Amino acid sequence: MDFSIDTEQKALRDAARELASRRAPQHGEGDVPVGPAPHDADTWSALAEVGALGLPFAEDVGGFGASAVEVSLVATELGKAGVRTAYADALIAGSLLATAGSDLLESVTDGSALVVPAMAEPDRAWSITTSSVTAEGADDSWKLTGEKSPVPYADAASHVVVPASVEGGLAIFLVEGPTAAGGGVTFDGTAATLLIGPDNGAAALSQAINLGIVTLCAEALGAMEGASTMTVEYLKTRKQFGVPLMSFQTLTQRAADMYVSLELARSTALFAAMAISDDPSDSTTASRAKVVVGQSGRHIGQESIQLHGGIGMTAEYAVGHLVTRLTAIERTFGDTRQHLASLASTLSDHEQVDILS
Amino acid sequence: MQRRLSQEDAAFQQRMRDFFTTEVPADLRERWAAGGEPDPDDMRASQRALNKADLAVPHWPAEFGGQDWTMLQRHIYLQEMQAASVPPPLAFNANMVGPVIAAFGSQAQKERFLPPTANLDIWWCQGFSEPDAGSDLASLRTTAVKDGDEWVVNGQKTWTTLGQHADWIFALVRTDPDAPKKQMGISFLLIEMSSPGVTVRPIQLIDGGHEVNEVFFDNVRVPADHLVGEVNKGWDYAKFLLGNERVGVAPVGSIKRRLADAKQYAAAVQTEHGTLLEDPLLAARIAELEAQVMALELTVLRVAANSREGKPDPASSILKLRGSQLQQDVLELIVDIAGPAGLDWSTDDWEGLAAPTYLNFRKASIYGGSNEVQRQVISSGILGLRG
Repeated sequence: MDFSIDTEQKALRDAARELASRRAPQHGEGDVPVGPAPHDADTWSALAEVGALGLPFAEDVGGFGASAVEVSLVATELGKAGVRTAYADALIAGSLLATAGSDLLESVTDGSALVVPAMAEPDRAWSITTSSVTAEGADDSWKLTGEKSPVPYADAASHVVVPASVEGGLAIFLVEGPTAAGGGVTFDGTAATLLIGPDNGAAALSQAINLGIVTLCAEALGAMEGASTMTVEYLKTRKQFGVPLMSFQTLTQRAADMYVSLELARSTALFAAMAISDDPSDSTTASRAKVVVGQSGRHIGQESIQLHGGIGMTAEYAVGHLVTRLTAIERTFGDTRQHLASLASTLSDHEQVDILS
Repeated sequence: MQRRLSQEDAAFQQRMRDFFTTEVPADLRERWAAGGEPDPDDMRASQRALNKADLAVPHWPAEFGGQDWTMLQRHIYLQEMQAASVPPPLAFNANMVGPVIAAFGSQAQKERFLPPTANLDIWWCQGFSEPDAGSDLASLRTTAVKDGDEWVVNGQKTWTTLGQHADWIFALVRTDPDAPKKQMGISFLLIEMSSPGVTVRPIQLIDGGHEVNEVFFDNVRVPADHLVGEVNKGWDYAKFLLGNERVGVAPVGSIKRRLADAKQYAAAVQTEHGTLLEDPLLAARIAELEAQVMALELTVLRVAANSREGKPDPASSILKLRGSQLQQDVLELIVDIAGPAGLDWSTDDWEGLAAPTYLNFRKASIYGGSNEVQRQVISSGILGLRG
């Protein structure tokens, strides 16, 4: 068990940090965009240039032969700087393309194609085992019917990867040039290519989502670290009643609790990346990490705003944007409730959690 | 980064597991696992079995029985010991006074005290807290005045854990009442409990147990060479000791053991819709605790590896804070699982022990530096927030 990173990983992290600092959104007075960010082609090609987009995929399918650990290092830096991208989404799509042996993966890793998964559905809780989108057809002729929404980055995507119900289970399809409207994608007898059939669809999707989850956990870790650092700095410098805020013990004790949450989340996010690199199908660890990071993110996010006071509420100050992102991450690829429910249903499978074997 | 244990560490883990589950008598481990008041004879038997195998004081210097282990190995050792419900070496001996004597004691003190301390031939208790000096330990008032080649000790200590079994007490005493700061002028003194003038009075706790005591000193005469290190430097030794105390202070193995027990208990309690383990609310609570305990254990491994030998690492405050919270959460879960059966304290099965144990462990966030003190250590020591 070792949490330290090697020289090559340090170099990757430094490159990602440099990229993130150049690409960090500038907040200030005026009309600052809030909420989900649109796709930024320049940031995307910068990510492709440092090799971030192909990190976890084997070289023989067009990847760079690194692992989820390297992905996490990059995602943490993006999260810390508040750079919002389709990184986790593209890795999920990439993972499915890799499983399918699709040539498109090379265009994903060099940044020329933006492929994202279309997962969420209107009026349905998150699920990776069912889909109300259905597929009919055979061989090279498949047609999809139904709706996926919201599908982040669908408007900029060259393709979407869609889990759909077929006879025999869940299959994974690729749709080129999706028609995005209202934040989602509607399929109405839309032509699609079968990537992975119903025998392996659910398992491949689960592995891909696990990679997405550890990526998001790492991004959340970065955002939590960014928000915590800003909050501590604010307590040191901001004066009220003639003294710095840190003169008030109730505030410093709450900052200490934020730090505890941060370090627990850090251990967990790093471990989850190692675990998924070792065994991409380890959904239990991914779910535990999502729960810990979700709860830490909620705690740190809420306290960051509270300890900043009114300034934390403003669009011109970065901390609120980090909290916005944490709020979104907790609800992406399964929320805390869904992951807890899934963990709760498998309690009898083990006597206790064993991380050392 | 490396997730798996190395072959060497995996072999070490197996060796510990084999030892704890075969060499420490099962009946003794069962009594310990059941909880309730510790049996001093069991604690002696356990520590002596460990010491015989050089496993009682692995973090001491090698010449006094220590092992050259990594922090990871130390964690594995503690984890396996707790998983097997082996009574751990008495903390006052193994983690507190032993390392202080080894680091700061005279050669004569080391030779005289360390072997019997490792073997629990001497049972130590801790004389730090006083009625007006708990978290604010430096306010202590018990005095030691030099008279010839003896110290004359007067005052009162409190919260003296298991002091009723103790042969000796290591006490912080004020040797210079005129020192410019209250942390100065304090010395570290070893006092035999059988000395004339020492009185032990039990304090009964809300769980009905007798775990802590008040200790009174009335003109107790202590040979001068029972002072450890230099006179008036006791605060430094106390800080060293408290730093040691926080190493391994998150009892991850015990928490996991109790959580596994809780699942078993829940599976045995019937509800209108099956067992309590199948109840969605309770199952979610257990799943959440498992995830949080995992986060704690990972943090123990990550933080302990960076622990600076001999100096209290402020990061260890994270482990104390979170470890005590989760320990309390799991015991709270068990008392909830027991439900109405926990109202009857007269039985010594798990239901009967659930509520007293839950109440007893409210202590965990108070002793060893309260959780508020730990937050203070984190905010000033790590975050640099100083009012």
